[in-house]
Amino acid sequence: MGLEELLPAIAGMTWQHLVMIGVGLILIYLAIAKNYEPTLLLPMGFGAILVNIPLSSALTQIDPATGQAVEGVLNVFFDAGIATEIFPLLIFIAIGAMIDFSPLFRNPSLLLFGAAAQFGIFLTMMFATLLGYDIREAASIGIIGAADGPTSIVVASRFAPNLLGPISVAAYSYMALVPIIQPPVIRLLTSRKERLIRMSSANHNNKRISKKALIAFPIVITIAAGIIAPSSLSLIGFLMFGNLIRECGVLNKLSQSAQNELSSLVTILLGITIASTMTADRFIRTDTLIIIALGLFAFIFDTFGGVIFAKFLNLFRKEGNKINPMIGACGISAFPMSARVIHQMGQKEDPYNYLLMPAISANVGGQIGSVVAGGIILTLVPLLA
Amino acid sequence: MTPTIQTALFIAVVGLAGIFVFMSFFYLIILALDKYLPYQEEKPVEEFIEEISEEEESEE
Repeated sequence: MGLEELLPAIAGMTWQHLVMIGVGLILIYLAIAKNYEPTLLLPMGFGAILVNIPLSSALTQIDPATGQAVEGVLNVFFDAGIATEIFPLLIFIAIGAMIDFSPLFRNPSLLLFGAAAQFGIFLTMMFATLLGYDIREAASIGIIGAADGPTSIVVASRFAPNLLGPISVAAYSYMALVPIIQPPVIRLLTSRKERLIRMSSANHNNKRISKKALIAFPIVITIAAGIIAPSSLSLIGFLMFGNLIRECGVLNKLSQSAQNELSSLVTILLGITIASTMTADRFIRTDTLIIIALGLFAFIFDTFGGVIFAKFLNLFRKEGNKINPMIGACGISAFPMSARVIHQMGQKEDPYNYLLMPAISANVGGQIGSVVAGGIILTLVPLLA
Repeated sequence: MTPTIQTALFIAVVGLAGIFVFMSFFYLIILALDKYLPYQEEKPVEEFIEEISEEEESEE
């Protein structure tokens, strides 16, 4: 009896499998030791190990005795939850239940930074086409710039499922790296004088928002978005549904369940299921490195777009009413990390400059902006590609 | 410029403009909701009790 019969997994092991097991271990290390998005990176890292041991029963295998395919549990989860988009949409319910839109009601103009900071998505998409990707793949790569895991998964699973693994790893890794990516870009684009600008929005911080307005908001947004772009309804609708559960005041148990149990359960399944696309043959390609590089490009230019838009608006605003350009960088969807990073940067320059509230307003706007961007890409790409 | 790059450029321009249009619209929705559904102070407890007693007296 040879090694192949006794230990088929070892006989079938290649250097690519070992590299992927190493990648899985690195993701687990980043999750545990560095606390980088552990909710996703740990399941993804562990899943990468599961699927890169040859003949793993976690994946569909052909039974050599019968020639029949034996379904692996991760393939079942993938077909049921990712291919159908159910898992990311359930996460949207959870995210919606966690969002408080009252900072946005206090500073509604900051919603526009949620638009400007999606600039990196489209620039990256164009750059990806220059590198030879087709429109669908380029859009799936560009959406990493949404800084929104579920949106990235929905777009990638629809347009480029073969790239879902590296896109997910890039999206979640860079979301965790926002404190490292954004500050140098912001310092490059702004002067010290601009970073010292104090926002004159202190008067808005105590403004009270009516419960009726917070209840009506998700309903009206869903109807408006659905009429304008029906293909965005699954993303925006599920986000707003979660928010309505939170704000209605009569479903506190459901709201708590959505924010905790639903979020945790689906995240566990989502993370480990995405890993089913991280097999050595799919992941160890030049494409993966290019996608990871393009993901960083997208995040950098998201920050660029937000900051430059703020500087542009300041050309038309009087002294004393200027916007601190760093707030523009909060228009990405990485909530609340981006807001905290910008507040800390502001405090470093001037300990009496409190940018947290306007930063959170812009950051909440970014959460809506990323979902709208995803909806627009889901609408436009099938029409034109 | 290849057709793919042209299409990407078109999607980029329309997409970014579209996001701004959407968000401007949502901005107007927020202004409208804030105007037509403003925050109302809850009545203090004493005022509420006074109202109840006045109603009871008028029923008698």
